Amino acid sequence: MGTRTPLPILQGLLCEVAGGKLTVTGTDNEITVRTYLDVEVTEEGKTVIPAKLAADAVRKLPSGAVTISSSDTEVEITGNGPRFNLRAMAVDDYPQIAEPDTSQAVEVEGGMLTQALAQVGVAASTDDARPTLTGVMFEAEDDLLRLVATDAYRLAVKELPGVAGGTSKLVPYRALRELARTVGTGKMKVALGDREASFVTDDGRLTVRVIDSEFPKYRQLLPESHSNRLVVDKDSLLEAVGRAALVAEDHIPVRLAMQSGGVELSVIRQEVGEATELLEGDYSGEDMTIAFNTRYLTDGVSAVADDKVVIETSSPLEPSLLHGAENEDFRYLLMPVRL
Amino acid sequence: MRIRVAECTVRYEGRLNAFLPMATRLVMVKADGCVAVHADGGAYKPLNWMNAPNTLTEDDDMWTVLNPKGEKLIIEFGEIHFETDLEMGEDPGLQKDGVELELQRLLAERPETFGVGMALIRREYPTPIGPVDLLCRDGDGTTVAIEIKRRGEIDGVEQLSRYLEFLNRDTRLAPVRGIFAAQEIKPQAKLLAADRGITTVEVDYDDLRGSDSEVMKLF
Repeated sequence: MGTRTPLPILQGLLCEVAGGKLTVTGTDNEITVRTYLDVEVTEEGKTVIPAKLAADAVRKLPSGAVTISSSDTEVEITGNGPRFNLRAMAVDDYPQIAEPDTSQAVEVEGGMLTQALAQVGVAASTDDARPTLTGVMFEAEDDLLRLVATDAYRLAVKELPGVAGGTSKLVPYRALRELARTVGTGKMKVALGDREASFVTDDGRLTVRVIDSEFPKYRQLLPESHSNRLVVDKDSLLEAVGRAALVAEDHIPVRLAMQSGGVELSVIRQEVGEATELLEGDYSGEDMTIAFNTRYLTDGVSAVADDKVVIETSSPLEPSLLHGAENEDFRYLLMPVRL
Repeated sequence: MRIRVAECTVRYEGRLNAFLPMATRLVMVKADGCVAVHADGGAYKPLNWMNAPNTLTEDDDMWTVLNPKGEKLIIEFGEIHFETDLEMGEDPGLQKDGVELELQRLLAERPETFGVGMALIRREYPTPIGPVDLLCRDGDGTTVAIEIKRRGEIDGVEQLSRYLEFLNRDTRLAPVRGIFAAQEIKPQAKLLAADRGITTVEVDYDDLRGSDSEVMKLF
């Protein structure tokens, strides 16, 4: 639903009851979510209820069955004693929402897609001044779907083999992050149209306007090979960066001195102090010190699914590549901070 | 600005007759003569109002507001809960979005962002329909009007087109060409700008600020 919208009706949820199902629709005019729920139907009909108030009211009811009934002007919500009478909004004012065209849709495992989106989504920008960077690029290849996101400081790429036949579109991550908790993680149809992207499951559907702009040409940024390679335990690295971040806050970079036998992490903050820690690992290449923004490094390492993470580097001024020791279907390209 | 919170009835006599029964309301009399009666709800629309110019006659607990068209607002007061009168001075107008204003300041300091030899004539150069963000002169001596937005959309191009139309009527400045600058410019806005002979430039706020100089970017 719309929280800051000039159309008050968008602060409502359209509730339709028919054929043993409750269909709830919310939209902010960019993202539309429709969900289904099996209910016991006494009488069919539809109404628009004030979203926030109704949701808060239902949440505060004692556990058990909830009954929602409506007249032209009022919606009554009851459950185990308490009763709310809310003023209904005008059904006729609610925007007409067309069914998405799923004839060209690709079917994917919803859980796999939402997990992949969470991996690349960390690299998407939240600055709406540059909408292109707030999206996840869905790139269809012959035999795989590639998801790419970047905020210009880092770039995340995830490949989903076996997902074929779609088109390429840029979809706002703001909408994609809602997929799991709105339409669920079951079998999902993904339809990427010229104007809209739709994600449809048995639990509901989410439709969002695609971003109409050119995604940065990222392929040339991904280097063929790096001269230095560090392999460390993912959890140990995350914990060590977390400790370093206590001193670093957000703006001081963490230095990684890579050497035979592992890596030394350090943060030096003149007015506060410093933190140093040696982490064991396998390193091949020249001794080198490189620095990263702690948050960007943490995001990338967390997104790697393997137990061991690989950091490949060429020089302290060139982007480093992070991926799992076993799997390279997820890659995270991270620009270092100049020391 | 005179503000009175009081019990009152309000009668409007003019194109139609309307009556507000006795209740607590806020009555504002602005320095320019506008009178507005507000209830305790709604962001901007008064229950009743009279635009300036008006004549306000005070007679004990009754105010009569009369405008030149003969429309009349009669406010009869009961208990007065609060009253104040203060000089508010001239309003500076609506401030631009912080980032947009900052972009304008940074680009005014670095007009060379728009090309070698570009020099600033002045910021907020006035035209009859409002000020254009930057007026510059390029290396060839041609006047350049620059409109800066955070997000470059069609309405920004339209706005710059209108400024250019007026600026080009000024023989001291003409010919004036336009540059539309924003952090990101929508394809439709680029197309419209190109069609009207306006150059589009995407600028990087972080680079201009220079505060992130040790933080490098991928592209």
